[in-house]
Amino acid sequence: MRYSYGIMDERKILLYKPHLFLKGNDLLIFPSKDFHKWHGDIKEYIDGLYQINSINLEKGKSININELNLASGLLTNITDELEHLFNAKRVSDSSYQYVSTLDEEYTKRRRQWYTSDMMKCDMRIPVKPSINPWIQHQNMMEIIDHATGEFIMARKKKSKKLTDPSN
Amino acid sequence: MRVTEAVPNGRIAEVYNPVLFQKHEEVIVFPREEFNRTCSSIREQIDYINKVDMHLDKVEEWKLLDYWTKILERINILDINMNLIFKKEPVQCYLDAYLYDTIRRSEKKIAVSESKVSVQLKHSI
Repeated sequence: MRYSYGIMDERKILLYKPHLFLKGNDLLIFPSKDFHKWHGDIKEYIDGLYQINSINLEKGKSININELNLASGLLTNITDELEHLFNAKRVSDSSYQYVSTLDEEYTKRRRQWYTSDMMKCDMRIPVKPSINPWIQHQNMMEIIDHATGEFIMARKKKSKKLTDPSN
Repeated sequence: MRVTEAVPNGRIAEVYNPVLFQKHEEVIVFPREEFNRTCSSIREQIDYINKVDMHLDKVEEWKLLDYWTKILERINILDINMNLIFKKEPVQCYLDAYLYDTIRRSEKKIAVSESKVSVQLKHSI
């Protein structure tokens, strides 16, 4: 990605590498220290995920639920950090900076055969049909139909109670 | 984090919201489309992993390894995207950017039609 540092000076920014950007480009400006901190945080979480995987590889290719929950927790942290990127009120804690020292070997992708469970995984997850207004409408109609059914049943029970000769 | 957009103009960038930054503060500058593409890709991978996680039936432990492999693929893409931010290579999104580019209005004058033509709007969902 093309990027340049710059310095803020009297409501304008002096770019260090102005030749990178053409006249028609839109630019996004972040404070450089905060941005490096943000990047380091997310890299830390991703390295954590690779570390979970490294345990998995050493043990002999088996993974249990606890490790999966741990990974899920790390992922929640990453999602939070992504949200914080555009949150102007958040102040980043610059007490430490993470620099990734993870060996390349751990991030290498090993060749995996496409097993039947992987195919089931691909087929069960509804990634393909995107949620468009028609599906939303269908969903609402289903809820309304179910609710009217319940309402009618309740009314029938109530009228039965009232017209009951034993009452 | 404080963010603002800007427009380059020679050696300087004209900032839309200069009040956010202090005097002589160092900033980092990205092109908006490339950053947007990388960010969207990161969000997609996270969404996919969350979907796998939610659909997982955690009782069947023996199936977990295959699901984990799928998750690991996406984590790999996530890592690549994060590294891409500080790499000096050109980004794949140059192809993407072309597809989403808006069509600019041409300078020629468009002739006004003589007769009024009625338009039927089809209700598309």
